[in-house]
Amino acid sequence: MEILQAHQLSFTYPETTAKALQNINLQVKQGEFVVLCGPSGSGKSTLLRLCKPEIAPHGTLEGRITFQGMPLEELEPMVKAKELGMVFQDPENQIAMDNVMEELIFGMENIGFTTAQMRKKVAEMVNFFGLNYLLDKKTDELSGGQKQLINLASVLLLEPKILLLDEPTSQLDPIAAKEFIHMLQRLNEEFGITIVIVEHRLEELFTIANRVVMLENGAIIHDKTPREMIRKLGTHEKMRNFLPSSSLLYLDFHPDAEPETIPLNVKETRQWLQTESIEQQEEDQTSESEQQPILELREVDYQYTKNSPPVLYNLSLSIYDGEWLAIVGANGTGKTTLLKIIGGILKAQHGTMRFKGKKVKKWDAQKVSYLPQNPKLFFIQDTIKKEYDHLAEHHGIANAEERIQHLLEKFNMKHLQDRHPYDLSGGELQKAALIGTLLVEPAILLIDEPTKGLDPESKKAFGELVSTLVTEGLTVVMVTHDIEFAAAYATRCSMLFQGEITVTEKTRDFFHENTYYTTVMNRVTRNSSVPSVVTLEEARRTWRVQNRS
Amino acid sequence: MVRGFRSFHPIILLLYYIFAIAGLMLYQHPIFLGLAAATILIINFMLDGGEQLKKWGWMIAIMSVLTLILTPLFNNRGNYILFYFFDRQVMLESVIQGVMIALTLLCIISLFLTFNIVITPDKFVFLFSKFLPQWALLIMLSMRFVPLLRKRLIEIGDVQQVKGLSVKCGPIRSRAKNGMLFLQILLTWSLEESIQTADSMTARGYGIGKRSKYQPFYMKKRDWVSLGFLLATGSFVAFGWWLGDGVLTLLPILEQVLLQGREWFYFILWFVFLAFPIWTEGKEMIKWRYFRHIS
Repeated sequence: MEILQAHQLSFTYPETTAKALQNINLQVKQGEFVVLCGPSGSGKSTLLRLCKPEIAPHGTLEGRITFQGMPLEELEPMVKAKELGMVFQDPENQIAMDNVMEELIFGMENIGFTTAQMRKKVAEMVNFFGLNYLLDKKTDELSGGQKQLINLASVLLLEPKILLLDEPTSQLDPIAAKEFIHMLQRLNEEFGITIVIVEHRLEELFTIANRVVMLENGAIIHDKTPREMIRKLGTHEKMRNFLPSSSLLYLDFHPDAEPETIPLNVKETRQWLQTESIEQQEEDQTSESEQQPILELREVDYQYTKNSPPVLYNLSLSIYDGEWLAIVGANGTGKTTLLKIIGGILKAQHGTMRFKGKKVKKWDAQKVSYLPQNPKLFFIQDTIKKEYDHLAEHHGIANAEERIQHLLEKFNMKHLQDRHPYDLSGGELQKAALIGTLLVEPAILLIDEPTKGLDPESKKAFGELVSTLVTEGLTVVMVTHDIEFAAAYATRCSMLFQGEITVTEKTRDFFHENTYYTTVMNRVTRNSSVPSVVTLEEARRTWRVQNRS
Repeated sequence: MVRGFRSFHPIILLLYYIFAIAGLMLYQHPIFLGLAAATILIINFMLDGGEQLKKWGWMIAIMSVLTLILTPLFNNRGNYILFYFFDRQVMLESVIQGVMIALTLLCIISLFLTFNIVITPDKFVFLFSKFLPQWALLIMLSMRFVPLLRKRLIEIGDVQQVKGLSVKCGPIRSRAKNGMLFLQILLTWSLEESIQTADSMTARGYGIGKRSKYQPFYMKKRDWVSLGFLLATGSFVAFGWWLGDGVLTLLPILEQVLLQGREWFYFILWFVFLAFPIWTEGKEMIKWRYFRHIS
């Protein structure tokens, strides 16, 4: 039975002529798990929001959407609130209340449940989600993943028939994202809740979704099962980047494969690879000569307060000129703290930091720049151009205008220079902030979690951009949990554990040695009959197929 | 301790504090106030081992000593001259008056320290929503925003510091200017983000009808018993004041300071009432100390 249906739907935003959505026909059946995907600006979020009338964007709507056969606009407000559940992108901003319990019951209070009903429902939900340990906490003490689970639980307490999710995992680290998607899978499989999700992180979703719907320029261009979709998108220029790397590898081998045979996860890919015989072409190792480190940290300790356990303890790290060092590690291991110490925002209680052999007391702005996790924070002026002018004036940069124009040109941002920073898309904003950090011609660029909230395409563009900067001589220190990104672009990787750098190696060796904390490609190929590789690129470069049996 | 003083219904706790403060105001008698001071200090120690007292101790001591010294210097009404201080008479009555004011101050401040320990923010919001329901939601929403804005401002400061804009160093003029810029961007940013909060609230049915309110506290049997206890002892305390038993008459003629006759009855009653936290908390302490093991 159809639970949600869009019929000949078109939508135009006010003061624009182009249609954001045109002639959309979509049926969602009871109990289905539907993924909406597409490049940025394809209208997928607009479509999702139109399905939740209270928060639907303003504009002219043609056609209609029905929920269980009833047009949305004829539904009772109570039904709309209760039966259409919606979870948004940003875990932080969805939370309205000060503590977890209040947040969970917020929706139920709005609907008018009695205290006894609320207690009973919360008890059920808390046990199902295993959230007991969070119940007495303040909402701002929670991690992003925990916040998003609370948001989901708060919506589920109203017993929605259908769950609409707008990029719910884009702000989460990969582990929390997996946990969240796993929870959605349970809800779908164990309770039959219908799920419609807009998402970029398709790797995990492909294995659990029933259908994948792809939008481009406001129209549905494909509506298929995950495997058929992979088959179709393997040749799509933009959407290729969204696909699981193991499936892409398979498509490289079998460009005209039957959809049923495409492997979706590590297990299936390993089974397939057993049938292939591949030899590896040796790559010429570029041996690097002994270098003097550009920045050296020795025995750094850091504690936030006297009585709290140390975040960093006896940490030593050398950073060499012209490298891209990625510091990886789980949540709460002190990655951002380390970056803030390098950037001179925090002062270590013990230890030294030497820049080209000289002890650093206070940085000149010319030597180090910082690209924050949330690039919005970088801007304090109305337009990005004004921000650059202000920066140039503040630091007294010579030939400022010329340099700004050069960078805008180089990053292809010229047409956006008079925009307000908040009006840019995630990828554009990141680039805009990057230009700002480069204006002062820093020797070292510090990057904090750059891939958060970016779609795969912008991620790739950003990685390639920074890569060119590194080849031009910039030194980059990046902290991230995104190991796929680190594996693809960084030159060296360090692992932070218990306040110390436990290992620093060249990226390939680093991931090659790891068993669990490593890329999908490495997990697919390690200890198998084929030569092991770390990234898809590496496989394409070095594998020589012998014979196909 | 699950069943100690803190576990009572917030209304009962509030009632105790209202009665206790009223009692302290009414019973202006050095011996009654001395007893109250001792009781309240003991309550403080029982509730948190004197943590809060240690923090505020100095301030309380200085204030009390100052009133103790200054009152006799400025107030010279009375019949008994004790001695002369720079040609001013120091009266016995005004010394007693000073003792009483100092003790009242000490009692009220230390009672408020226990109020802070006992009435946690959730109980406070609960009480608030009882009396002003429409404001309670607003307060809860703002309570979330205080730490959030603080955190955001720190984040902005951190990022801008590396850019070279700081409120921590440099000439005052530029520091102030940067501070204003940071606040401005904090506002822009937060407004932008709060649109999403509004969406999420609307999506969960905010504003479609009358809200119900989750009641985290309900009256248990022991709450009713305590209510009876507080009302009974409280009205006796009030009656005692009406009879003038707990009040020391200073003027026109100084009453005898030592207690006599019926005053002892109200003295004991005053203690029984004020030590309500000691009974409830003490019972639990004894339970934990001596009756934990089955022997």
